[in-house]
Amino acid sequence: MYIYKTGIAQIDGVSGGIEAGTNILMLAPSMSSAEQLAYALIKPVPGEYSIVLSTNERAAEVVDFFKFAGCDKRFIGVIDAITKSSTPSIADTPRLMFVSSPTDLTGIGIKFSNMIESIFEGTFTEGETGLFPPPIRFCVNSISTLLMYRKLEVLYQFLHILTAKQKKIEGVAIYLLNNESFDDRTLSLIKQLMNGVIEVKVDGNDNYFRVTGIKGTKADWQKFTVNKGQVTIVP
Amino acid sequence: MISTGMAGIDDMLGGGIPRGSKVLYSMEPGVNGQLFMISTIYEALAKDLSCLIILPHTTLDAFLHDAANMRGSKLQIAGKKIAFIDMIDRERIQRSAQTRDAAENEWRARINKLCKENQTEVIFGYFDVIYEDFGLERGFNLLESCRSDHPPTIIIEHLNFEGDHILEQFIGKLSFDLVVSIKASFGLFPHFNFFTLVHTSWAPMQKRSVPFIISKGRIVPYIPKIVVMGPPESGKSTFVASASERVCSIDRTGLSGDTTTVAMDFGWLHWKDFDITLYGTPGQPRFDILIPILLKNAMGAVIVIDATKPGSLARAKHLINLISERRMPLVIAANKNDLSGGMSEGEIRTSLALRKSTPVFFISAKRNEDVRVVLESLVDFITQFSY
Repeated sequence: MYIYKTGIAQIDGVSGGIEAGTNILMLAPSMSSAEQLAYALIKPVPGEYSIVLSTNERAAEVVDFFKFAGCDKRFIGVIDAITKSSTPSIADTPRLMFVSSPTDLTGIGIKFSNMIESIFEGTFTEGETGLFPPPIRFCVNSISTLLMYRKLEVLYQFLHILTAKQKKIEGVAIYLLNNESFDDRTLSLIKQLMNGVIEVKVDGNDNYFRVTGIKGTKADWQKFTVNKGQVTIVP
Repeated sequence: MISTGMAGIDDMLGGGIPRGSKVLYSMEPGVNGQLFMISTIYEALAKDLSCLIILPHTTLDAFLHDAANMRGSKLQIAGKKIAFIDMIDRERIQRSAQTRDAAENEWRARINKLCKENQTEVIFGYFDVIYEDFGLERGFNLLESCRSDHPPTIIIEHLNFEGDHILEQFIGKLSFDLVVSIKASFGLFPHFNFFTLVHTSWAPMQKRSVPFIISKGRIVPYIPKIVVMGPPESGKSTFVASASERVCSIDRTGLSGDTTTVAMDFGWLHWKDFDITLYGTPGQPRFDILIPILLKNAMGAVIVIDATKPGSLARAKHLINLISERRMPLVIAANKNDLSGGMSEGEIRTSLALRKSTPVFFISAKRNEDVRVVLESLVDFITQFSY
């Protein structure tokens, strides 16, 4: 089974990385570095692909993050649920696809399938990696925004299908959720779909994370910083 | 009748959708089937039907752009009787209405007003957001708000997370007239899209599924494999060649100087809005080992016989038995009808022990029009076959 490296020595050193087919919920408060942490974790290493479903940032901003982190942008795909509402005529490319709003779960599902299909068929980008199934990292940024547009029950059903497909294609996925904005029922329902949880907290100006449910990882809080897509654990 | 905008499907439905019907395009999440609804919208506008399009999931501009992208041409709305309720309208209703009942009343009032102003004949609704806001029955009742002597046809697309259970409710509780379920065979990714005519109220019809592909902005029903079989020298290769727009045969020349198929014939044609692929099998018994492989996943079969050679029918009967084991639609093409001394239909039926329902056509495989009659019958058979 393929193992996805996290780039964090404390995780990779213990378990080798994250097993293929893992779905991880990242719970974080506002104003934390959770988004940078999530993007750093799904940054593709050579031979891999990454797809971001962005409900908060435009595709160009997402691609910029990965560019500054030193990634080859030819292996980054973005499903952008923001830009089309202000620029309806924006056209899809193989790596940048647009849906009219986070309400449009039909469109999001189709674009996700299309992007996965193009990766598997080798039409996503030139320069094939040669691995099969192609390793794909996926990030939903964020479930919080999707929950503003669709009811929990509907989103649960949607995520149920998405996580199952993610597992089937042997990818790894991170789903961001603001744990300050939603009640315990919401959090526990979404957790049911996941294999592991990364919690992020802010204390003063410092960010901490802890991991539960991922084999070999410690459950204690670790102080971290993210710089140019690189996560550093601060002793 | 209102056309679905997909000729192959109209044929399966007996010409289209009767006016005043309630139609559901049920979409499995992730399946690229939005063109079903879009095709029907384009067709309705092309026929100058007065339409109301309800888009609670998107803005009008984004919808028009997406539709043009999918279809390859702009939706012509200038000068047409058409009205829209889009995501912005939904947000306005949500902001202004204090309760769900108030929102429901506001929706009802808007739909009724637009229908009256435009004398709406067809309502197109993207239903899953309405379903989420109001539930199944109340949500659908909103679309029926239009009060007139001639109730409009209602056509909805619904993102179906609940599977067949919800389809039964559309059919049972809401008396839908046509339910089309659009799904994919999902391996590692969706690699095989198909639609199923789950229910039609106006014609007795078996539930049936047909694969489709999207080509040049159109839904094209796809018959991925029709197998053409028969005894040696019955005219299978000629049949495939006459039927096909593109054809390839793997033959060798026999001692008699005639060519005989030693692997297969392969032909492709686009016809009556279907894409069809034909596989011709070799006729000699020594190639029988190939036949189960070639029959695998076939949707129908043609047995070509030489109507002037009664001695070849034992071989044909053996091949029919192989097909019967797989329960697939079958038609018989009695070839060389242009020559004298041919058998009668009764003789052929008796020799081959054919069922009454298996059609027999007397043809010359050299004549394109004869071959097309056989294929037409088989396509009808495939799309109406109870598997």
